[in-house]
Order: sequence, then C-alpha cells, then structure tokens
Amino acid sequence: MSDRSIPRLLQTPAVILLLVWMIVPLSMTLYFSFIRYVLNSLRKPEWTTPSISNWRGFGNYEYVLNAKDFWFAIQNSVFIVSSILILTVLLGLCIAVLVNRSFPGRGIVRVLLISPFFVMPAVNAVLWINMILDPVLGLQGIAVNGLNDLIDGLRDFPVLGSFFSLWPEFEPISFRATQTSAYAVIMMVTWQWTPFAVLIFMTSLQSEDESQKEAATLDGAGPWSQFINLTVPHLARPIAIVVMIQSIFHLSLYAEIEIVSRGNGNKNLPYLIGEFSSNNIGAASATGIFAVILANIIAIFLLRMVGKSLMD
Amino acid sequence: MAAVTERSKIGNILWPVVAWIVALIFFFPIFWLVFTSFKTDADAVKPEHLFFFTPTLENYTNMTENYDYWRFAINSVITSSFATLFALAVGVPCAYAMAFNPSRHTKDILMWMLSTKMLPAAAVLYPMTFITKNFLGIFDTHFLVILVLCLINLPIAIWMLFTYFKEIPKEIIEASKMDGVTTWGEIKDILIPLAWGGVASTALLTFIFCWNEAYWTVRLTTIDAATLSKLIEGNRAPEGLFFGRLSAVSTAAVMPIVILGWFCQKQLVQGLTFGAVK
Repeated sequence: MSDRSIPRLLQTPAVILLLVWMIVPLSMTLYFSFIRYVLNSLRKPEWTTPSISNWRGFGNYEYVLNAKDFWFAIQNSVFIVSSILILTVLLGLCIAVLVNRSFPGRGIVRVLLISPFFVMPAVNAVLWINMILDPVLGLQGIAVNGLNDLIDGLRDFPVLGSFFSLWPEFEPISFRATQTSAYAVIMMVTWQWTPFAVLIFMTSLQSEDESQKEAATLDGAGPWSQFINLTVPHLARPIAIVVMIQSIFHLSLYAEIEIVSRGNGNKNLPYLIGEFSSNNIGAASATGIFAVILANIIAIFLLRMVGKSLMD
Repeated sequence: MAAVTERSKIGNILWPVVAWIVALIFFFPIFWLVFTSFKTDADAVKPEHLFFFTPTLENYTNMTENYDYWRFAINSVITSSFATLFALAVGVPCAYAMAFNPSRHTKDILMWMLSTKMLPAAAVLYPMTFITKNFLGIFDTHFLVILVLCLINLPIAIWMLFTYFKEIPKEIIEASKMDGVTTWGEIKDILIPLAWGGVASTALLTFIFCWNEAYWTVRLTTIDAATLSKLIEGNRAPEGLFFGRLSAVSTAAVMPIVILGWFCQKQLVQGLTFGAVK
C-alpha cells in the first residue's frame, strides 16, 4: 500500500457512516417535500402513501412560506439561540474570572458550578417549568405569595405602614404564555450551558501569559485595562468555540420547547416541523429543508470563524 | 500604595464570597430536585412544608416497583457505553489520520462532519422512522439506539480527538514509522498512551451526551430499548400535582451522570477545550 492510502483508509469508516447518515434521510426528506403526503386523509386516501404520482412541485414550500407560524418560528429560533449565546458568554466570562483565583473551597465551587451541564435537558425543562417557575405551585409562586404576606404584615406598623400600604400586590408571572415561555426556555438553557462556557474560559484563562500581565502592572496598567487589552484578545478563540458548539446544539433545541410550551405558540423551527409531521409530512419535509438551509447559512458563517485557526 | 492593599484585602474576602454565592445559585435547582424527591406528592406543593417535612422514600420505592426504573437505567447504560465505544473505535483512527497525515481536504472534511451535526433532527425524523420500521425492521432495538447515538456524537468526538492528537509532536509518530511499527501499533502503543487524557475526556463527554440524548431515544423506541429519557418523557405528563414522584424519577435519571461528572471533573476540565487553548 502506498503512503497515502492508509490515512485515507482510516478515515473511510467515519466518512461513510456520516455520509449515509446525512444523505439517506435527507434525500427522503427532499423527495417527500415535493409530493403530497399526509398520514390521514378521508377525502384523498391516495395521498397517504408516498408516490411520485402525487407530485406537488413547490406547492409544499409555498404552503409553508405562507403559513404565518413559519416566519414566527424562524424569528423565535433566532431570538432564543442568540439570547442564549449572549447570556452564556457574558455570564461565563464573569464567572470564569471570578473563579480563576485561589480561595478556600475553590474545588467545591467548581464542582457545584459544573453540575448543571450534566443534567438531562428533559429533566432540566421539567424541573424549571414545574418546580421553580410555576406561578402557583413552584418556588416562584411561593416566593411571591410570601413577599405579599410580608408586605401585608408590614402595613400594620405605625409609621412604615403608610409607606407599605402604597405598595401594589405582586403578581406571579406565568411562564406558559407565548412570549414568557420563550424566556423560560432561555433561562433554563442558559443555566445549563453557562457552566460549559465557564469551563472553557477558565482553562483558557489559566493558560494566559502571567509575565505579560506583570509587565503591564509594572507599566502602571490597571486591572480593567489589563482585562480589555490582554485577557479579552486571549479569549477570542475560546469565545468563538463556545459560540460554535452551542449553536450546533441549540439550533435543534427541542425537548425544552416541547415541555415548556406545548401548544401555546412558542415554537422554533424544529418544533414546527414536529407539529406538521403529526399529519402533513409534505409540509413537514419542506420546513425541514428550510431548516437545513438556515442551519447551513449559520454553519458557513460559524465554521469560517473557527475554521481559520483550526489547522494551525 | 496603602489604598491598593486595602482594596485588595476587601477583594480577597469579597470575591470568594461572591464566587460561593454564584456556585450555590447554580447548584440550587439540582439540590431542590433531590430535596423534593424525599417529599410526598402532597407535601411537595404545600408552602408550609417547603423546608420542613418528614422525609420519605415512598417515591423511590414507588418508582422501582411501578415504573420499572432499572430496565430503563440498564438500557441507558448499555446504549451509552456501546455508542461511546463505537464512536471512539471509528473516531480515533479517523482523527489520527487527520492529525498526522493531513491532506488539502482534511479541514473541509472536518468542517463537513461538524455541519452534519447541525441538521435539524426533526427534519429527518419521519424518514428515519419510516426506514427503520418498514425496511430494516430495527425500530426499538438496542442496535438502532446505539447506532444513532454513535452517529450524532461522532463529529464532536472526532473534533475533540483531532485537537488533542494535533498537539502531539509529529516526530514521535514518524520515528516509530522508521522503526517499522504498524499503523495499529502506532495508535495502540504510542498515540493512545500519549493522548490518554484527551481520549478519556472525549469518551466521558460522548457518554454524557449519549445519556442525556432525548430526541432520538424517545422517538425511535417504544419499550424494549427505551432509555431513561423515555422514562422522563412518560412521567412528565401529569403536570403539577406529582412533584414528589416527578423529582424522584428525575433524580434517579440525572444523578448517575452528575456524580460521574463530579468524579471526572478534573479530567473533563482539562480536556474540554476543543482546541480553544493554545
């Protein structure tokens, strides 16, 4: 065997597996997206089996583009993913800087901080929406009620009472409405993925060149200017990696959306596909193709960002 | 100068306290989950029993007796372990070749692999169900779950392995080639011992992702190969009133992996950089 064929041979299994994994379902999705294909139809039973004679051309695509859910779902997907990215990167940076010094119990702090990353997404969603954010039974409801009772009690005090009597009653927020449930999803995913950002930023901070910092201190640079001029450029690459890995995971966010917002209108693209595919496979497939296109646009953008420095 | 030391003295006390508070806030939801799992369903929703209650194991005995927890747990262990093993078996040689014999296309191949991870699972769910049910007849088998878990984690695993292998000096591998060591020998005796930390943390992360996967495992199984995510899926339906029961099931599904994560935390922190750290 020649020198080049062994490395190629070693890559083949992975490449073939992923190629099949990508191409077979994708080409079926593409096919279904051009035909009329529904799971149940009393009026048109012939549509319930996939067949080339039910050709619909771009009809499914037109149908999806005209569905008002579709544009909302795209907007919502982008809103949720970008909010999560911004929050995790900012929180991750702050916490990484905070933990990147030695203090008593640092090991335990690190273990506690990392824990949310290991939690199953489905459990994460169930835990947050029911036990923490529920306006009646969850901690939120209990805390708001407790606060109201406390203010009620303070009203009886002689002087302060007149001040507190002006306070309005607090209302717990329901996180089951369309807009608020998007916030709930952002909150729980941020909770889960901030530890990941912390981990990567922390490792990167530890590899920072300390002698550079000492030189800067001698030159009279304050901690803030050191952070901006030395630490932030050093963190550019880890930030790119965090953004990329998280985009990969959050573009296909499903479990959280499904559990938090069943049927209340807070959809993202994967969830909309799921909704369509309960009956209209044609429309679901067309939406799927749109989702693939969107993912690819984002992928090209992200991969270029990271890919450049990957090979050095 | 005096002002500076004064300020750093306050900082020395203040920042660790802030760090502790942040850590406790982040950990609190997990604590609350475990805490609630020892309450009865009735106690779990009563504000007067928020912190004080008679702990009970009722939810756990109920779970093992009525929900067959162990079957789901064993399925999770089997599928996640084998998927991790296969991902490494396919990923290590691939990453090895990419790191030590890169061609013009290596970067593109790597990027393409990662981009398969971005395909929305929902878009191909129906074809997948169709193929596995009607053509291959492997729906709801361990084999299918292992295969799918392996495939969805393969790109990330290869990327992680690639970034570790790249750090190993090429000369070491080339020297062994001169000595007539076979490719398999190079991987087994030189590469894996040298990159052991990276391989271990890749395995760990893959295992965690497999364990927590809840899209395919829920939709491609019914009973036989159902994993813990399926158990959660089935138990979350009656919302609100059964916090105790829900917490126990969730705790039992999550804790094995959280504890594993705690023990391997150092390893994971070292390894989880995806080439971000130079």
